[in-house]
Amino acid sequence: MPSGWTPFSYIVVNLARQIRPNDIAFSGVNSTLPMLACLLAKHAYDFRFTYLNVAGGVDPQPTTIPQSSSDPAIVAGSAAIFSNMDFYDLCTRGGLDLVYLGCAQIDAEGRTNVSAIGSWENPKVRLPGGGGAAVMMPTAKRVVTWRTEHSARALVDKLDFVTAAGNMSTLVTPIAVFQRPTSAGSRFHLESWNPDVSMNEIEQRTGFEFDVSNARPTEPITDAERLALAELDPDRRFAMEVNA
Amino acid sequence: MTLVAGLRAASYGVPFQPVGGVHGSDLARLNGWQTIRDPYGSGQDVYVIPAIAPDVAVIHAAEADEEGNARVYGSPFWDHPLTRAAKRVLVTAERLVPTDVLRLQPELTLVPGFMVEAVAIVPRGAWPGSMHPYYDVDYAAVEDYMKDEAGVLDAHLNEAPECKDQLQERQGRKGKTEAAKEIKS
Repeated sequence: MPSGWTPFSYIVVNLARQIRPNDIAFSGVNSTLPMLACLLAKHAYDFRFTYLNVAGGVDPQPTTIPQSSSDPAIVAGSAAIFSNMDFYDLCTRGGLDLVYLGCAQIDAEGRTNVSAIGSWENPKVRLPGGGGAAVMMPTAKRVVTWRTEHSARALVDKLDFVTAAGNMSTLVTPIAVFQRPTSAGSRFHLESWNPDVSMNEIEQRTGFEFDVSNARPTEPITDAERLALAELDPDRRFAMEVNA
Repeated sequence: MTLVAGLRAASYGVPFQPVGGVHGSDLARLNGWQTIRDPYGSGQDVYVIPAIAPDVAVIHAAEADEEGNARVYGSPFWDHPLTRAAKRVLVTAERLVPTDVLRLQPELTLVPGFMVEAVAIVPRGAWPGSMHPYYDVDYAAVEDYMKDEAGVLDAHLNEAPECKDQLQERQGRKGKTEAAKEIKS
């Protein structure tokens, strides 16, 4: 890749770049890439924020990164445990600034489907369900999602099922970063794109229409981000899962 | 979280529990969840989740005494609402400890013995999951279990620590680990 991005580094770094100073950020189950993004931000960025995770960790300092983002190992080094009921309650009372929530399908208004492909009653694929997405997405201040597959079947005009809707702000794929204001009815616009692909390719691989008038090439990966990523994934175990 | 809301309703002894969010999700229609208007005049419509009272909750603890007082180290995940909402509570634990040990730090006891119907000592009982601080997730065993092949379930069960103990007993050998034994009934 002439730009130096891989699908893995592009997603993790652009997820990390959504964190703002003093944010309280949260990553959940089946969320290895956001988990790595939060740990990367702790290493690479020179500002304070709080990282909570689904295992109950509060600013954990794990010595090894577990394969699963809900492994209790991701609590290591925490000075407090802030477990399931605590972080959901924090979210619903408006205290979580940034929540990473996954999606199988996503539409232009940032609604997500993690329930079923096809009809609910007679699905082609039964998906694992939203976890707490339906309560977190309308109540978190900003929700960020990601998809390792950028295709018209993942980024769709119409969802098969609406698992969650609300304050989605950012969608990161291996080739693009979309943003939307969190106000109801707002649509994603292209914020930036991976310079290894053309705008035409992004349009062809996206199932919904979007505005490109303010889009620019994504800022290159910095040395600090590259270094942090190498430290977090020294044997490239996580990178291989995405780049394969 | 809607699940926790249902468990909370049961543990509070009320028929439903208000919960934040859910607006805009098809899950409300699918599950028949209703909203109620704030009776105190804020104008907010809030989803209410019906009570969920499990017939039995089974939790795995780090340590328990003969009364069923059970201690969990690290993150308790869903143990607290589950044990309060369920009609019956069963505990398995990594190891048996004297009650005097629990008396030194009662705040570490997650569920008091008077709520517990039976306790069994089952070393490595959370396998292939983890039990803080004794052992981590056995990812290789989880991946083997996920394979879509014949014989996977039997192979998995044969590897389970409590089954290995039983096998050893049947074969007339003494296991190194304490066999699962009920100590309160």
